[in-house]
Amino acid sequence: MENMIYILYICMFVPLLLSLPLIQKASRGIMVFILIGISSALFVSEVNGIMLKTLGYNTLYVTTTVTPATEEIIKALPILVYAFIITDNRDKLLAASFALGIGFALFENTYILVTSVDNVSIAWAVVRGFSTALMHGICTAAVGYGMSFVKKKKKLFYCGTFSLLMLAIIYHGIFNMLVQSEELKYFGFLLPMATYIPLIIALVFRVRNKKNKT
Amino acid sequence: MYLIANIIVCVCALTGFIYGGIKFFRPRKALYAQMITLSLGCITFGRLFYIVRLLTGGNISDSFQLGFLGLIGSLMFFFSSNFGTVNSLLDDGSKAFGKYRLIALAAPLAAVIMYVALFLLSDVSLLWKILGAVLTVFVMEASYFNLKHLIFPDVDFGVVKCLRPYNLLALVYSAAIFVECCALSRGNELLTLICCCVTGLTAAAMMPTIVRGIKKWKT
Repeated sequence: MENMIYILYICMFVPLLLSLPLIQKASRGIMVFILIGISSALFVSEVNGIMLKTLGYNTLYVTTTVTPATEEIIKALPILVYAFIITDNRDKLLAASFALGIGFALFENTYILVTSVDNVSIAWAVVRGFSTALMHGICTAAVGYGMSFVKKKKKLFYCGTFSLLMLAIIYHGIFNMLVQSEELKYFGFLLPMATYIPLIIALVFRVRNKKNKT
Repeated sequence: MYLIANIIVCVCALTGFIYGGIKFFRPRKALYAQMITLSLGCITFGRLFYIVRLLTGGNISDSFQLGFLGLIGSLMFFFSSNFGTVNSLLDDGSKAFGKYRLIALAAPLAAVIMYVALFLLSDVSLLWKILGAVLTVFVMEASYFNLKHLIFPDVDFGVVKCLRPYNLLALVYSAAIFVECCALSRGNELLTLICCCVTGLTAAAMMPTIVRGIKKWKT
């Protein structure tokens, strides 16, 4: 169906948007960023369509070299605005950027599910759920970390955010390349988990240390 | 050959990245060292991209590859570490330090001359001329501060002296990746391998040098 992506967007976006007034204030911000992530995914799909057309439908090259850059840049823009206008608190920025990445992955996964419904399975869902969602979350959170320096250390903010964006783009490119290859796709599925677990362990240690000090 | 060369750099940078991550990614640790650690992360992921591309049957010299952004990211972090954290401690902008600022311009000037000679006036493809130009811009800004902090007098804090070995390594790294890109653009596998060995060694030596430098600086 021609307009499937828009139908899907409306079906996901509107109920979540309507739920916003009922959600408690602390969680509302996260929900807003999930919604922004879903909207970013729709916007990116349009941009990627243009890029694919421009580069002569070379799908492998576009998905491993061009789309990581477009997706990471578009995902970073709302976080940049949030960091500039609302808060540069690192914890809030990390949570917001991770939520945005997850929202993005949610829409992407659902769109792929709907458009290739004959080829999907429980294993596919588990793999996409753990790998793609985490990958998008981690990449956006990395850029969000750099943006936490926006007001504290401006000299670090410009260079640091740019470099972290580079890092996120490469990471995304490696992931896309791995999951599309026949022999190495299992490494691709494991890559986000291998990055996420040490980060969670570090976070747990940090929280425990804080508690011990207080 | 490209695969082996990139594996060497990736392993060396990954070692430094993990070491730096364990040592410096804690509260109240030097931001300067965190920046260097992240630059090693950029090198690691950039090279990993090349490795995966080669393993999946791709070519890294015919078209633009995201791994190139790893080089740019690492240079940006080198620049950021010096410009954003240490430079304001050392240089108050007074005329007394004018000659050091002037001498340090030799590094970006050398980068421009190398670009003109090795890329712009040679018969490499347009892609490599553009990539060479982008690399030159980032090498210029990073190498300026590396050379400046290598020659700058140690006036107040004793910081410069401690970080001189690192700045020297960063300069060698910048030169090595520049020559590596030049070799890659001409398909010279042996020179690529030699440059990658130098890059790998400097990347591996960077973190122990920083650890030692910061230890001296604090004591």
